[in-house]
Amino acid sequence: MVPDAALLGIFSHLDDVLDALRGMKKEGFKVLTVFSPFHFSEIQEILGHKPSIVRYSTLAGGILGGTGLVGLAVYAHLSFKLITSGKPILAWIPFAVPFFEGMVLLAVIFTVVAWVLKGRLPRVRLPSAYDHRFSEDRFGILVSCSDGQRGIISKLLQDEGAEEVRDVSG
Amino acid sequence: MEHLSYQDVNREILRTLSRPRRSYYLMVGALFLGILWAAIVWYYQIVTGLGVTGLLHPAMWAPYLVQFVFWVGIAHSGTLISAILYLFRARWRTAIARSSEAMTVFAVMIAGLMVFVHLGRVWILYWIIPYPNQRTLWPNFQSPLIFDFLAVSTYLTVSVLFWYTGLVPDLAAVRDRAQGVRRKIYGFFSLGWAGTDRQWHHYGTAYLLLAGLATPLVVSVHSVVSWDFALAIIPGYHSTIFAPYFVAGAIHSGLAMVLTLLIPLRHFFRFEKIITLRDLEAVAKTTILTGLIIGYSYIIEYFMAWYSGNVFEKQTFIFRAIGHHAFMFWLMVFCNAVAPLLFFFKKIRTSLGSVFTIAILINIGMWTERFVIIIGSMAQDFLPYNWGFYTPRWVELSIIVGSFCLFLFLFLLFAKFLPSVSIAEVKEDLTPLLRGKGKRDHHGA
Repeated sequence: MVPDAALLGIFSHLDDVLDALRGMKKEGFKVLTVFSPFHFSEIQEILGHKPSIVRYSTLAGGILGGTGLVGLAVYAHLSFKLITSGKPILAWIPFAVPFFEGMVLLAVIFTVVAWVLKGRLPRVRLPSAYDHRFSEDRFGILVSCSDGQRGIISKLLQDEGAEEVRDVSG
Repeated sequence: MEHLSYQDVNREILRTLSRPRRSYYLMVGALFLGILWAAIVWYYQIVTGLGVTGLLHPAMWAPYLVQFVFWVGIAHSGTLISAILYLFRARWRTAIARSSEAMTVFAVMIAGLMVFVHLGRVWILYWIIPYPNQRTLWPNFQSPLIFDFLAVSTYLTVSVLFWYTGLVPDLAAVRDRAQGVRRKIYGFFSLGWAGTDRQWHHYGTAYLLLAGLATPLVVSVHSVVSWDFALAIIPGYHSTIFAPYFVAGAIHSGLAMVLTLLIPLRHFFRFEKIITLRDLEAVAKTTILTGLIIGYSYIIEYFMAWYSGNVFEKQTFIFRAIGHHAFMFWLMVFCNAVAPLLFFFKKIRTSLGSVFTIAILINIGMWTERFVIIIGSMAQDFLPYNWGFYTPRWVELSIIVGSFCLFLFLFLLFAKFLPSVSIAEVKEDLTPLLRGKGKRDHHGA
C-alpha cells in the first residue's frame, strides 16, 4: 500500500488534520491514507469518497435471500403436497415471513462481507505506516511524495500542526 | 463523559480487561457449577424422557417455552438500543449499547437452547431444518414453528454479526495495548483493522445498513414468536394483539435486564464516568413507556374477552384473575404495569438502589407473564373435563436456574475479555480535541 516514497504526519488535534487535508488537496498532493481512532465523516468528505458500494451488496443480498428462501418454500410445497389448514399448496401470504427472514439474513451477511473486503480486510500484517496510537488518540496523514516534494510536504504538515513527520518510504 | 480525553476513554474501558480479582473467579466458578448441574439434569431428562418433568397433559407447553419466550424477549432491547436508537441518534445509547448487544447474543443463544431442551428427543432436531431427504418430506413453510426457526436463527446470526462489526475497531485498540499471545488473539479477531479512512468509510455505511436491517427484524422476531400462540385456537392464545403486545413486552423485559446488568457492571468496573446516571435514567424513562403499553395490553385483553362475547375467552380471563394461577397473574400486573410507574418520580429513577430493585421486579414480572399466558391458557381450555394444573418439578427448576447461570456466566466472560463499552463510539460523542482559532501561535506548545 505504501508507495516508494511517502511521508506520515501524526496529529493530535482534529482541526489540524482537517486543515492539513485541505492544504494537501489544494496543493495537489496525493493523500494515500488517513488514520483515525474513530469515524469522522468530514475526513471522507474532504478526501472526496463516493458513497460506499456496500449498499449495492446489501441490496443484492436482500433480493437473493428473500427470493431464495421463498423459492425453497415453493419447491418444498410442490414436492410435498400436503394441504394444511385449508390453505392452498402455495399460500403466498404466509410465505411473506420466510421472504422477510431470508432477505434480512443474506442482506446482513452480504453487508458484512462487503465492508470487510472493501476495507481490504482481513490482513495479516498492519500497514507499515501504522502507529498504535492511531487506535487511541492520534490521527495520521500518509502523503505520497517524490524526492523533490519531500521538503514542501513535510513543512506543510508541520505548519498545520503535525507533532511528528515520519518517512515511511517502502 | 464530556471531560474525558481520548486516552482516558481507552484507559477507562480497557481497564476492565486487566487481571480480575479473586471474587470474579469465585463468581465464575459458582456459575459454572450451576451450568454443570443443569447439563447433568438435562442429560438425565434425555435418557429418562420428558416424563421426569411436570410437563403433563394438558399443560404440554410449560416452563421451557416460558423460558424460550422470556429469553427471546430479553434479547430485544439489545437490538433496540444498538440499532433503533442508533438510527434515532440517541446519544445516551453509546455507553450501554455494547453490553446490550452482548446481552442480546447470549439471550438468543439460551432461547434457542431452551427449544432443544423442550423437544425432548433433541437428536432429531434437524427434522425442522429444510433439507433434501430420501422420504421427500419437507417442513411446512406455512407453520409458525418454521417461522420461529427462521426468525430466531436469523436473529442470532444478525445479532452476532452486528455485535462483531461494532467490536472490530475496539479489538484493534485492545490489540495495540496487548502483548504476546493476547496480542495475537486480539489481532486475529480485529482482522488487521488499522482505522484508515477507507475502512471507516465502508464500515460507517455498513453499520448504518446493519442498524436499518436489524430494526424491522427486532419487531418481526417477537411477532413471529407471538404467532406460535396466536395462530392456535386455545382461548388466551388466539388474539390479534399478540404481536405488538409481545414486542412491547420484549422490549420492557430487555430494558429491565439492561438495568439489572449495567448497574452492577458500572459499580464493579467503576464505569461511573462512562455509564452516567443520565444514561440509566434514560433507560428507566423508556421503561415507563413500555410499562404503560404493557398495562394497556393487559386491560385491552380483558376488554376483548368481554366484548367478543366468547364464553371460553371470558372464562380463561376470569380464571387468570381468580383461578389457580391468580397469584402469578397479580404479581405480573404489579411488577410489569404498576412498579415501572414509580419511575415517574425523579428521586426514584435517579436512585440506583431503587432502579435496580424495580428492574428485578420487572424481570420477575415478565417471566411470570409468559407463565400466565403459556401455562395458564393451556391448563384450562375449552372443556372442564380436559383441565389440569401444572406443578414444576426439580428437573425443570434446575434447568431454569442453569439458564440464568449460563447467561450471567457468559456476560461475566464478556465483561472480562472484550471492551464492554464501545471505545470508538464514545470517542465520536466526545467534543473533538481542537486547537482552535489562532492555532499557529501555539504550535509546539
